[in-house]
Amino acid sequence: MKLEVKDLRKSFGETEVLHGVSFSVESGRALGLLGRNGAGKTTTIRILMNVFKANSGTITIDGKPFATKDYQIGYLPEERGLYPKKKVGEQLVYLAQLRGMSAKDAKAQMKKWLERMGVAEYEDRKLETLSKGNQQKVQLAQTLLTSPQLIFFDEPFSGLDPVNAQILKDVIKEQIEEGKFVIFSSHQMSYVEEFCDDIAILNHGDVVLSGNLKEIKREFGQDRLVLSSLGETPEELANRLQDGFSDLLDVEKVQKDRVIIRKKQKENKAEILKRLVEQGVDLEYFGLYEPSLNDIFVEKAGDE
Amino acid sequence: MKQFLTVLKFELDNYFKNKSFVITTLVLAFIIAAVVIVPTVIPGLLDDEEDITAPGTSEEIIVDDAIEDEGAELSRYGICVAKDATDVDVDMICVAFPAEWKNYDSEDAIKEAVETGDVEAGFIMNSPTDVMYVVNDLSMYDYLGEMFSQTLSACYKQQYLLDKGLTAEEIAESESFHVNITEEVLGKDGGQNYWYTYVLVFVVYFLIIFYGQMIATSVTTEKSNRAIEILVTSVNSTSLICGKVLAGAIAGVLQAAIILGSGFVSYSFVQEAWDGLLDFLFDIPANVLVVYAIFAVLSYLLYAFIFGMLGALVSKTEDISKSSSPVLMLYIASFMIAIFGMTSNSNSILMKVASYIPFTSGNAMFIRVSMGSVAVWEVIVSAIILGVSCMIAGVLAAKIFRFGTLHYGNPIKFKTALRKVKKNA
Repeated sequence: MKLEVKDLRKSFGETEVLHGVSFSVESGRALGLLGRNGAGKTTTIRILMNVFKANSGTITIDGKPFATKDYQIGYLPEERGLYPKKKVGEQLVYLAQLRGMSAKDAKAQMKKWLERMGVAEYEDRKLETLSKGNQQKVQLAQTLLTSPQLIFFDEPFSGLDPVNAQILKDVIKEQIEEGKFVIFSSHQMSYVEEFCDDIAILNHGDVVLSGNLKEIKREFGQDRLVLSSLGETPEELANRLQDGFSDLLDVEKVQKDRVIIRKKQKENKAEILKRLVEQGVDLEYFGLYEPSLNDIFVEKAGDE
Repeated sequence: MKQFLTVLKFELDNYFKNKSFVITTLVLAFIIAAVVIVPTVIPGLLDDEEDITAPGTSEEIIVDDAIEDEGAELSRYGICVAKDATDVDVDMICVAFPAEWKNYDSEDAIKEAVETGDVEAGFIMNSPTDVMYVVNDLSMYDYLGEMFSQTLSACYKQQYLLDKGLTAEEIAESESFHVNITEEVLGKDGGQNYWYTYVLVFVVYFLIIFYGQMIATSVTTEKSNRAIEILVTSVNSTSLICGKVLAGAIAGVLQAAIILGSGFVSYSFVQEAWDGLLDFLFDIPANVLVVYAIFAVLSYLLYAFIFGMLGALVSKTEDISKSSSPVLMLYIASFMIAIFGMTSNSNSILMKVASYIPFTSGNAMFIRVSMGSVAVWEVIVSAIILGVSCMIAGVLAAKIFRFGTLHYGNPIKFKTALRKVKKNA
């Protein structure tokens, strides 16, 4: 199944915060919805959850208009919040009932998810008495209580230690494998790279980049090479390239242990290599540049 | 509807599982029952009271006792005759007004004696008919000056009649005419209904003052702890706010009903033992009770929705008290009008007007029914106006709540919220 968001526009007062946002998610493939603070991610998610109405644009599932009442939605908001003074079990049952579950099912699901998250012993404790990590796990149980078909994770890993993060990773992978629509929003790019097949980068209310992550990376790496030399520092190598290779390449970035260059012609890789050998450069590494998601994000969402 | 009921149940649980709510309700109900029942089981307690309130007014008894009881310790008063008031008969005054009298030469001397507590009070006789009463602290119920003036007037009158040739017997006979008057109240006896009306109006007052803030807090709670982020995706805002407000309303009404009910039930068992002495509190006609129930609940609900609205406008519970003060002022004004109407004239123009304005009609119409005369149609029209106002307040509260749901930060101004609601309508 495919959830498609097309040309969403939203204004608050006189200010338009989304200027025609479009992207798509397939069930069983997670989408990383990325963007800096205030880029419009939460507004987009809220429109998807029908908290706000968009001024224009469409949301469809397999071509049919998407109505929130027909689907169970799980939401882990960035601003975590439940009832600190209520017992963990009680509030989870309440939230499940609000989403249409019977009291009996809600209780069974609550027990199942507290067990799964390793916090079953806190069922009768007030939420505020739990550690931050355990409160996070209760939040996650809340998100998945009703076996939602559409799940939004907003910064799911913040505040979790490595062990708890692993539990969460397993749960998220499980949800993706079960064929759910998973939309993942985070500033921790390593997690996004780990889970998401597709990404959409929002910047100031516009989608500046979207598509398959692997393809994006490949496209981003096109025309770029990574070089390092055993006999020279990256700066020395960069100077040599700028002086003697300017007809073939531009130096794009000098990093701690390597230099990234952009080829001037598409098929001149062999020529560059040949000239490097001719000049007696003791090459340590010569290969295609594969950008990290972080590099892509900074380039697309960073202020020029 | 299912969501509304789920919210209602969850919110009611918050009240009923709250130990202080349960304990306060039970303790107050128990105290009221005890106050009604205990005097009836202690032998002789109620009989003694009857002796004390034997015929004749208490004032008369005290004055008579003071005069007749030779053994009783007399009060100490000072008297001073102004220099030019030669015709004042001090001896006559001292006989007519029994007390331990002390004579003083000057105004200053008597004032000092009163100040130091040498005498309880002082009387400066500027002339036989012009007296200055000097007292250190004047209490609200100080009738000494009045009594002194009446006693002197009676003496002068007696002296005048004796001078005119009447005998003491004739004067006594002239005082003996007594016109007996009985009352037949065609409408309501305001004096008799005053106390239970007063108590019932106060019950609504406490409900609104106490529960109003609690309702506003409960509406703000989710915004304050950000649970609203999740709730807005699970439940519609109308179910949420209505569930919350009605839970507060039900909890309040139930608490009041249990506390008052314990009094009524206890009294029904021991009414005979009290010999109807507490009828002025508990013997409330059924029609008055029905009107009270309708108007108290509706006006409480109206204010509950307004407090709910206030809760929706702020995002931090600590902002509530500031935002709610105008509404509290409005209710206190309504309460003052009610109390004024009770003590003066329950059928005044002010009360008539107030009994149709939704913010004041809860108290005003109930008082008119309880203490005055009012046509059935008037009660119905007022109830309809109040009921419709409740509904409007409910709808408005839901809309404002919906608008303010994800608005954090500074409290939203009521006018701004209304404008937004109007714009989105």
